[in-house]
Amino acid sequence: MANQKRFIVSHAPFWHDGSSVTERSYHMMLAALPAVIFGIIKYGMPALAVTALSVSSAILWEAAFRRISKENETVGDGNAALIGLIFAMLLPATSPWWVVVTGTFVAIVIGKEIFGGIGSNPFNPVAVAAAFLMLSWWKYFDFNAALVHYPFDHMAVYPLSALKNFGLSSVEGLTLADLLTGKQTGGIGTTFSLGLIIGGVYLMLRGIIRWEIALSFIAGVFITATIFKANNPEQYAGPMIHILSGYTLLGAFFLATDDSSSPVNLVPMLLYGLMGGLMVVLIRNIGAYIDGTILTILLINTVNPLLDKIRPKALGKVV
Amino acid sequence: MEKMKNQTKLAYWMAAVLLAVGVLSYTAFSAKPPEEPVRIMLTASAGNVLFTHDTHSGSAGYGVDCFTCHHHPDGDDYALRSCGDCHNLPEDGSTPDICLECHDEGDFELDMVPSRADAFHIQCAGCHEEMGAGPMKEECSMCHVR
Repeated sequence: MANQKRFIVSHAPFWHDGSSVTERSYHMMLAALPAVIFGIIKYGMPALAVTALSVSSAILWEAAFRRISKENETVGDGNAALIGLIFAMLLPATSPWWVVVTGTFVAIVIGKEIFGGIGSNPFNPVAVAAAFLMLSWWKYFDFNAALVHYPFDHMAVYPLSALKNFGLSSVEGLTLADLLTGKQTGGIGTTFSLGLIIGGVYLMLRGIIRWEIALSFIAGVFITATIFKANNPEQYAGPMIHILSGYTLLGAFFLATDDSSSPVNLVPMLLYGLMGGLMVVLIRNIGAYIDGTILTILLINTVNPLLDKIRPKALGKVV
Repeated sequence: MEKMKNQTKLAYWMAAVLLAVGVLSYTAFSAKPPEEPVRIMLTASAGNVLFTHDTHSGSAGYGVDCFTCHHHPDGDDYALRSCGDCHNLPEDGSTPDICLECHDEGDFELDMVPSRADAFHIQCAGCHEEMGAGPMKEECSMCHVR
């Protein structure tokens, strides 16, 4: 008898639990703040400039697009601000203003609004913008060149670049503690791994992102990197450096979990995440790019509709 | 409805304040590059090289004297100009303007000025070999990224 109750849904009216898109957006921004604040403290004024301009320009692009296309105003839902914040996290602190403004334009207008706005975008808008800029002006994503004026008290070379160009021995000095506490170079919001993990756990516990996607993404990175390492320990790095450097954690918690571009059922979510993790390490270890996370997100976004075909069988008998 | 209006108002306020912060941070309060370079990204067709200037010149690093690399003549302020200012000869064989700031045309042979790539290879690899430390001449990928 108890089991039968599981399938009972009462009639309307329903009581709304109070959750909203706005609430979700601000929770995600809150979760990103530890990593962002750390980045601003680490890189100073230039990081503040990039972050502030990114968030504000994203809001203004969305407001302008909505006004021109005579649609309802949606900036109040906080999604544009969230896109601006996550995009800023990917950038080097010294990014020129026009890179920031172009990036938020691509994210908001091309990545999101032309598909119909929030909930309709097939690709993560931030990943679209980052890929667009990386392919068009790759040198602005060269962290080694962008951060030459910073006298770091830790390894100054971007870990994934060192790994790709100078081999495993070049990152041997990096400890787990260094990677967790932000003693590495990278984007404004991508170096403080511990902050990203805290933010990610917060979002998973609040149910704002799906843990199935985030954890399977990280598991995919872990498993693939472990296999590479086991096959050739002298050439390939272990899983920790792949998880805790580059865009991996940001990708797992903030990009791959985007609602409209990720699956909804359990098995597809797990496959989606695992495929993402697998691709990240494949691109890094045998591909041409230093960090494959952005292209990976776009790739799994493309596969998402196919994965969503894997769905539970309908109950009852269809005649 | 009222709640939505307030949310929109909040977003516009956030955009206005952050735009002001962003513009001011990019302009009035922008960070100035240090007088002495920390690291220099040397661009090259064979792959860029990230040169750790502070590690080589600073007292906490190898403590190499400035005029060991910057030489024109020793002690002259001109010596501390960046390497590419002089070791960057025009392809048409003309004399660069920077040379004419101190020299008259015909006072010197352009052949005597090594190209930027040669100058770096002579300086970097020569010093490394002399000191028996760091990447050597044949170990290209130890400095150049692939």
